[in-house]
Amino acid sequence: MFEARREKIFVFGITIVLILFSIIALVPLLSVIATSFSSKSAVDMNLVTLWPKQFTLDSWGYIIDRPDLWKSFFLTLVTTLIGTALALLMTALLAYPLSKPEFRWGSVIMIGVVVAMIFKAPIVPYFLTVRAIGLYDNPLVLIIPHILNPFNLIIMRTFFKQFSKELEEAAFLEGCGYFRMLFQMVLPLSKAVLATLALFYGVVLWNQFQHPLFFLQNPDWFPLQIKIRQFITDDNVILAGVTSMIDQNYNERTLRAATVIFAIVPIIMVYPFLQKYFVKGAMIGSVKG
Amino acid sequence: MIPKKTALLLAAVILAAIALSGCSGNANQSKNTNQNHTNNIDGVVDIEVWGTNIGYKPITKGSPLYEFYKEKLGVGVIHPYVEWNGGTNYLNQLNLKIAANEMPDMFTPQQGIEDSLAKNGAIADLTELLPEYAPNVWEAIPAEMWDVVKANDPTGQGHIYYIPGSVDYGRYAGMIRQDWLDKLNLQMPTTQDEYVNVLEAFRDQDPNGNGQKDEIPTGGRQETRWMDHIFAMYGVAMFEGYPEWDLYGGELTYAAVTPNMKAALEFAAKLYKDGLMDKETLLNDKAKWDGKITSDKVGNYFHWVEHLNLNLENLAKNTGVKAEFSILPIPKVEGYEGFYTWKRFAPPQWVVKNSKDETKLKATLKLLNNMYDKDNWKDLYLGVEGMHYTMKDGKAIKLPDDKSTMENQVLNPYSSSATLAFTKDLYNDTASDDSKWAIEQLTKNMDEAQKYAKVIAGDGISASIYEGFPDINNRTLFVEYAAKIILGQYPISKFDEFVEKWNKSGGEEVTKRAREWYSKVHQ
Repeated sequence: MFEARREKIFVFGITIVLILFSIIALVPLLSVIATSFSSKSAVDMNLVTLWPKQFTLDSWGYIIDRPDLWKSFFLTLVTTLIGTALALLMTALLAYPLSKPEFRWGSVIMIGVVVAMIFKAPIVPYFLTVRAIGLYDNPLVLIIPHILNPFNLIIMRTFFKQFSKELEEAAFLEGCGYFRMLFQMVLPLSKAVLATLALFYGVVLWNQFQHPLFFLQNPDWFPLQIKIRQFITDDNVILAGVTSMIDQNYNERTLRAATVIFAIVPIIMVYPFLQKYFVKGAMIGSVKG
Repeated sequence: MIPKKTALLLAAVILAAIALSGCSGNANQSKNTNQNHTNNIDGVVDIEVWGTNIGYKPITKGSPLYEFYKEKLGVGVIHPYVEWNGGTNYLNQLNLKIAANEMPDMFTPQQGIEDSLAKNGAIADLTELLPEYAPNVWEAIPAEMWDVVKANDPTGQGHIYYIPGSVDYGRYAGMIRQDWLDKLNLQMPTTQDEYVNVLEAFRDQDPNGNGQKDEIPTGGRQETRWMDHIFAMYGVAMFEGYPEWDLYGGELTYAAVTPNMKAALEFAAKLYKDGLMDKETLLNDKAKWDGKITSDKVGNYFHWVEHLNLNLENLAKNTGVKAEFSILPIPKVEGYEGFYTWKRFAPPQWVVKNSKDETKLKATLKLLNNMYDKDNWKDLYLGVEGMHYTMKDGKAIKLPDDKSTMENQVLNPYSSSATLAFTKDLYNDTASDDSKWAIEQLTKNMDEAQKYAKVIAGDGISASIYEGFPDINNRTLFVEYAAKIILGQYPISKFDEFVEKWNKSGGEEVTKRAREWYSKVHQ
């Protein structure tokens, strides 16, 4: 009886603390949302806190109307989807042989993988290499450098190593080759690791910023994160001059707010469905290294 | 077992290296031929120009702005998009480009990169080229300024390696609400006591007439920035909140460590304590502070005079009040000579690649010469009709900023070498009927501000004096002490501790270098 009560108090306390934390996390988000729905002058005069003042959809109208933002959005979406699929394929194709003791070169390649993971290439040689491969100012740079990550490779290899040997031997006896084994037996039974790595790769691809910044010159190929960054930075206009009168009911701050929301909505919508894999994924490979 | 593994690893590495270098050789060649802009049929040479672009479209061969520059300036300008990102990414990209042996023909240097490039002979020595091939550039910038550029030559030979940005007038001043003064029957203050009286009246007598005591007599922004008017009356050389170098007691000295600064901080602390300075002064960012000004609450603020129209128009839009601002004459303080800091030097604007290719070099100089021709400035400012401006009632009016359609006007000598006459003309010529009242106030105030502007002795000082002492350059220590003194957390006596600490943490060395620089310029 006493124990149960203490436990209740404990749970209650934890709940309160967590609620407070989520309020702390939510308040800035609410403020940004409120700003995105407020009028120019209300925002100019610092009147907006948690609720929109002089409600207007003008900022959102502007955002929705901007074709380049949508273009970036779809570009990012497509590169993330294709990139993730390719990345899983490449990773599996290398991880599977590496998990087989009978693969003679396995240990050598493994050393190469570990070296690549520990020593990152310095920026100048890396730039020169990527350029030499022909990826400079080429939209493929949004995908190709990301499709094989050593860390993810090791996770997958570890997972494959735990795969039941008896099952494979049985399949071999029936005349099944390595490729068929991988695609028809191992991969279908590895959904947990695939989902996890898909998330790891997907998040990197969705959020990529540095790569396109370095390697792309054509703004048509800019992914969403760079486009947003262009909205967000406060760049001082050197010579304001006289522009034809500002009749819009939005300003930098409201647009900024709307763009930020625009960019996080997809992630927010996907996250709850995938979150469980994140936790599971972090556990895979953590025990058996 | 181990030797075998090592050997294999070695073999793999060598193989990879061979494969990679083979690859890069081929790809490089094809790329180079691609990027080499050849001469056009009509004899116009294309050159690659890099400069600030905060998100507009690039200039590509045959695009409207390319054609415009070609026709106006006689040179084809290719201006690829490089994400600016506060200058950091631009600098990274520039470094990578230079490492790949593809330096642009002409570009805006960043963060002192021109020093190392000049030392390596990578950028052209312009000392003789400019007077001969680009006389307009040579004349647009005063001779004394060229002397300073020569003194700043990192190779120590007194050569010119960059074209500095320049400003030929005082851009800054404190501005005060004339309509509030009139309403409260107050005279324009001329001494510090009168100034304080006016601020008190602003605080207590409800000049904005809304029945609330919400007026903010004066204030500034975070990191003790944008409140130079408080420091100006004590003769402190302050530039947008950055202490500068000027003569104190006959010697070039960092303004932050002078007795003048001590007196100014004491005064600022008093204003803060008496509620005459915004309680959030040290928390305001640009948006916040501008918001207070444009909600009809601020009586006196410091900024670029030529941006006054933005505040006036936003204030009118937000509150319906057509405010009137006048220049605040520097209030007289016994024993001090007040002034607003005027730096004629803006950061280096252009450097030119040290090209083996004569035609490219000549074309670059031709471009520079023609763009610094003042007759072209208005056209360069307006840009392409239909893209950057439109004709309305026979008047050219700039279109509102639209980064998704406008190409970047990278050649802007009218702002990088700004003159008072041109800037005023620009405002007058392009003012619409709706904005005329604001522009009239603005141009009148721009003239008025000249009375109080003074070129400081440390104008154009090379940033290399701070080498090895980034904290002094970032004025970290100063901001900490100044903020605490203003907020009343430190007594003013703490200022002496600051001076001592500053000297010990490199200030002495920096001062020595600054004085050496000064004697070099004035020998």
